[in-house]
Amino acid sequence: MSYFLLLAVNGLVVGLIYALVASGLTLVFSVLKVVNFGHGSLYMLGGYASYYLISGLGLPPLLGVVGAMVTLFVFGVVFERLVIAPMYTDKVERKDEYAIIVTFGLTILITNLALVVFGPFAKSPPSFMTGALIAGPLILPYDRLIAAVAAVVLLVGLSLFLKRTALGQALDAVSQSRESAAVIGIDPKRMYTVAFGLGSALAGGAGALIAPVFALSPSMGDLPAVQAFIIIVLGGMGSVGGSVAGGVLLGLVQALGVGYLPDPNRALAYTQAFGALLLVITLLVRPTGLFGRPHLRLE
Amino acid sequence: MGSLSFSRAVQAVLLAVALLLPLAAGPYWIHVGAIAWYYAMLAASWALLAGFAGQFSFAHVAFAALGGYASALGVGLLGLPVGVSMLLAIVLAIVTGALIGALVLRLSGPYLALFTLAISEIFRLILVAEEDLTRGMLGLPVPGLFSGQSDVPYYYLGLGLVVMAMLAMNWLLSTRVGLFLRAIREDEGAARASGIDTTRYKILVFVVTAVIAAIAGIYYGHFIGILTPNIAILPEMGLVIAMAVIGGIESLPGAVIGAVVVFLLSESLRAYGEWRFVLMGLALILVQRFAQNGLYPMIEQWSRARAKPRAAATVEDRHAG
Repeated sequence: MSYFLLLAVNGLVVGLIYALVASGLTLVFSVLKVVNFGHGSLYMLGGYASYYLISGLGLPPLLGVVGAMVTLFVFGVVFERLVIAPMYTDKVERKDEYAIIVTFGLTILITNLALVVFGPFAKSPPSFMTGALIAGPLILPYDRLIAAVAAVVLLVGLSLFLKRTALGQALDAVSQSRESAAVIGIDPKRMYTVAFGLGSALAGGAGALIAPVFALSPSMGDLPAVQAFIIIVLGGMGSVGGSVAGGVLLGLVQALGVGYLPDPNRALAYTQAFGALLLVITLLVRPTGLFGRPHLRLE
Repeated sequence: MGSLSFSRAVQAVLLAVALLLPLAAGPYWIHVGAIAWYYAMLAASWALLAGFAGQFSFAHVAFAALGGYASALGVGLLGLPVGVSMLLAIVLAIVTGALIGALVLRLSGPYLALFTLAISEIFRLILVAEEDLTRGMLGLPVPGLFSGQSDVPYYYLGLGLVVMAMLAMNWLLSTRVGLFLRAIREDEGAARASGIDTTRYKILVFVVTAVIAAIAGIYYGHFIGILTPNIAILPEMGLVIAMAVIGGIESLPGAVIGAVVVFLLSESLRAYGEWRFVLMGLALILVQRFAQNGLYPMIEQWSRARAKPRAAATVEDRHAG
């Protein structure tokens, strides 16, 4: 029972981080109608940004996370302005393919740049707080607890921001209809930039939060990126609640699958394949996802 | 007319160079060249699928893996003769290609990309997990096709396969099917409304390109002698996409030239390590941003623009003389 509890709690923590990564991806998708194939590399970049802010500038670890989010926001804004924004002009043909190729190109560029600049060896930033919470059979290191709590705070904050603030509602308006939003005086292009910046910041924040739990490496974003694709399809594009449900589900399935299936090599491979299979089945059977908003359905 | 003859001349010269290369190059570069043919087949067939037909698939290297593994297992596990095993692998690619083509009929753009990415990952993970069958990451040994140590026979086999694949795809594009595919890419609804059986042609293009990818994988497996699931990892797909996009996603010779140039560059710059791929990622973004149709069509256009004034000048010269 305690083994189950341990696996489940760890799965929940990882699932919340996945949910945070996916929420950034889904925000970008709902506003720009672009699936960011470079999202995982932004997650990785966030982890390294916080590492260097903490070790270089001597920031306390939690401020390092905030600094990483700010850094990634700026990075996202610049990338959107320089590379994605031309997509909305007539100069770019085949817009869907353009978006996939430039964001996928970003992954190739950033991942390899990280290998050269940061090196291939794993780096570990300092803990948020050493020690562990011990409650009966449950042992939860504070790093994991803090990462999970911070992820929940960010997810709740994102939901409130989208529902309660003028900027959040403007983003939502653009996600529902560019044309109608423009009619009431919202500049869609500005919202694209804001959404891409925020999406990058959320990915970067997730990478910075997980950094003390798992070590940093240039390829650390590969798995969360694929998980985030699965989550946004499963949970429904453009739905923060769907991201949380999908993230927690995947985190639990993976933790329990690896913990209970007999052959560890098979267990690792098939728990990952299970997520990919969920994506395939969802796209075929229910393209709007479990909690998808109807205006963001598959075209 | 100008561009056509330019393109033909370039292709003829490059083919001649490729045919004569083993006379001048050492064994290392012949080996590199033989691998380049593998990527050339993948990049060109992916260009047909994604560029001409607009079906942006991430599963292309998975089809190469399917072909390679099927052919290797046919020999190793079922004890079939190599030729029969290869045929079986191609039949498997036809069936799988048709199946995937049929499944993705309703999907387009990013959804199609995500779907094929997931399918590709599932297949790769099965190759990793089923060690009893595939030997997982240890690698599956594949029997060679030619006796002797030289790579020259493989080099010419690969070159022959590239030429055959190009002829087949060019023929397909020169028929009405080529127009239908482009019509589907531009506006599927309008294409259907004009009486094109879009279902049929989308499945057809998946089958054709899957078969070429599988042939590339079969060739690669028997040539290299060992297959690992890493043949189908995402960075490999990224390499193929970069080759096709940089060369020209809507130009079959552009994709082949892109594949060969990118691969030869990455081999000759080995001393620079991962910087090569930084450069490739940057080139991919820059080409897409500033020359969306790729570099080869741009050179083609440039030569046409240059050829015209010169033709006019010769006429004037003649008048003056």
